[in-house]
Amino acid sequence: MMKTVIKTTNLEKVYNSSVAPVRAVNDVNLEFYEGEFTAIVGPSGSGKTTFLNLIGGLDKPTGGEVTIDGTDISKMKESQLFDFRLRNIGFVFQSYNLIPVLTAKENVSFIMLLQKQPKDQMEKRAQEMLEQVGLSDKINSRPNQLSGGQQQRVAVARALASKPKFVLADEPTANLDTESAFNLLDIMSRLNQEENITLIFSTHDQRVIERAKRVITLVDGAVSKDEKFER
Amino acid sequence: MITLIKISWRNIWRNRTRSLVIMIAIVLGLMGGVFSAGMRLGIETQQFKETVETQISHIQLHHPEFIANPEARFRINDGFSIAEQIMNKPWVEVANPRTVFDGMVASANMNAGVRIKGIDPHMEALTTGLDELLEDGTYFEQEGRLPSVIIGQRLARELKAETGSRIILTFQDIHGEIISSSFRVEGVYSIASPSFEERTVFVRASELNEIIGDQEAVTEIALLINNLDDYQQRTAELKELFPDAEVRNWADMAPSLHYSLEFLNQNLAWMLSIIILGVSFGLLNTILMSVLERVNELGVLMAIGMKRVKVFSMVVLETTLLSIVGGSFGLLASFFMVKLLNINGIDMAGAGGAGLEEFGYSSIVFLEVPPNFYFDVGVLVVIFAILASIYPAWKAIRLSPAQAVRQE
Repeated sequence: MMKTVIKTTNLEKVYNSSVAPVRAVNDVNLEFYEGEFTAIVGPSGSGKTTFLNLIGGLDKPTGGEVTIDGTDISKMKESQLFDFRLRNIGFVFQSYNLIPVLTAKENVSFIMLLQKQPKDQMEKRAQEMLEQVGLSDKINSRPNQLSGGQQQRVAVARALASKPKFVLADEPTANLDTESAFNLLDIMSRLNQEENITLIFSTHDQRVIERAKRVITLVDGAVSKDEKFER
Repeated sequence: MITLIKISWRNIWRNRTRSLVIMIAIVLGLMGGVFSAGMRLGIETQQFKETVETQISHIQLHHPEFIANPEARFRINDGFSIAEQIMNKPWVEVANPRTVFDGMVASANMNAGVRIKGIDPHMEALTTGLDELLEDGTYFEQEGRLPSVIIGQRLARELKAETGSRIILTFQDIHGEIISSSFRVEGVYSIASPSFEERTVFVRASELNEIIGDQEAVTEIALLINNLDDYQQRTAELKELFPDAEVRNWADMAPSLHYSLEFLNQNLAWMLSIIILGVSFGLLNTILMSVLERVNELGVLMAIGMKRVKVFSMVVLETTLLSIVGGSFGLLASFFMVKLLNINGIDMAGAGGAGLEEFGYSSIVFLEVPPNFYFDVGVLVVIFAILASIYPAWKAIRLSPAQAVRQE
């Protein structure tokens, strides 16, 4: 039986606007299992990013709960959430969001550094991850010396280096050309299998959707479809 | 911490021009502040040296009546023994007994009122450095038929006297009888104070005392103490020890100088604080701009688990490093500027400095800045910079990671 990594129960996020309350996430009940490669899809404004923020502990739900490995994170204090994110969740953002003043290797090491991992182990793992994403020749390059695709590969290496329980990727291929996007997806699929890391994407990108083993469609904040595929 | 310093350091140089501009502002602000401070401290030191060290000393003892009537009969009883007692105190550098009173000087050309100071040449040299003020002649080396006198340059001009000239001093003896006696001008001294130069002559105390008929006469004991900061405490001590004497310190004797120095010090602290505050606002602006430009990046740092306290520290560190680098260059440039102007001085004659001469001070100002001043200013710059960074740092940690990561 597959192990549940994330479970949402009656998850809800309502934003109070001046006109009327906006229900960005509406009664979502989902379970994500270890090693899954899931795409969250849906039109703009369907609540994909809000949902990822809630399960990533970046935002607090207005109702329901998010349980990660049996821990309800929706009741955690902010300082606990910072620590929880640091130790359990990897993030990949649409705009890569690397630290511009650090080299590729330093960026990949950064989370491990915040986790206070031993220096040798950290450097070895950063080197290994950069090799895995095909950037062993760019370890000392700064983000502005890398292409968009290369920067996103560094971001993936950063997210995976500390071996988180799962990785959340918000539209990771949105800013990439086709070749870079395929390249990134190949790497992520391989790492998903090799490292058995749970990957959850929000995406519009058909190229990502076609690779996903599970596709969850959100419409107006609610789950309209939850499909699984053998890829 | 090392990584945080490394990131902060590199962040400073992300916008090289902006960082350089604020560093130049710090350097110029500090140079301006140190220059003004150096000028003021230079004038202060000069005024103090010329008035206190050359003319009045740190503390003086007199007979209580002497201040109103500077005559030989108002002598300090057992003056030499009192001077010796004082000299034996560990906090005293020199205690110089003098025979001082007012009299008249006359040459073939004119006569004028003067203060006659009967001194021990060796003690006087130790107290006021009179021997080094000579412009012409020698310092009580001659033993001629006539006793020696050393007069000021201005007085010499007025009397049309020069070294070797004979002049007549007229004064009262211990019984109040008028005595006139001839003296040979052995030396001519020069100091910045015109009134002192015009009105003060020096003779050997031993010779003067013989003329007035009292070998033990002492009307003034002038003191230099080791630590000038203790002058009030030492004055009180002497008052207690010698209740019959009038004990006055330099602040009592030159109150206008005392208040002007007090005012300068107050003024200096305010001026420096305003300059550094101005620079701090520049820093605040720079760091605030840098934070607002990095909303997305700071959001990402917090999203991936960097605690708010570390983000706060990073912003504070950026400002601190910026102020340390700017401050170091500023203090270094100021140090060399002060060194240069301490050697060469600035002639203020053309900028209102002629007025200084009228008050008895030199118009050439030599910048003076004590070494601890640089340290104090450096610490002040860093403290102000840290205070200036609090608002941008607070702004940075108020960001919601979820919103910040979506901002471009």
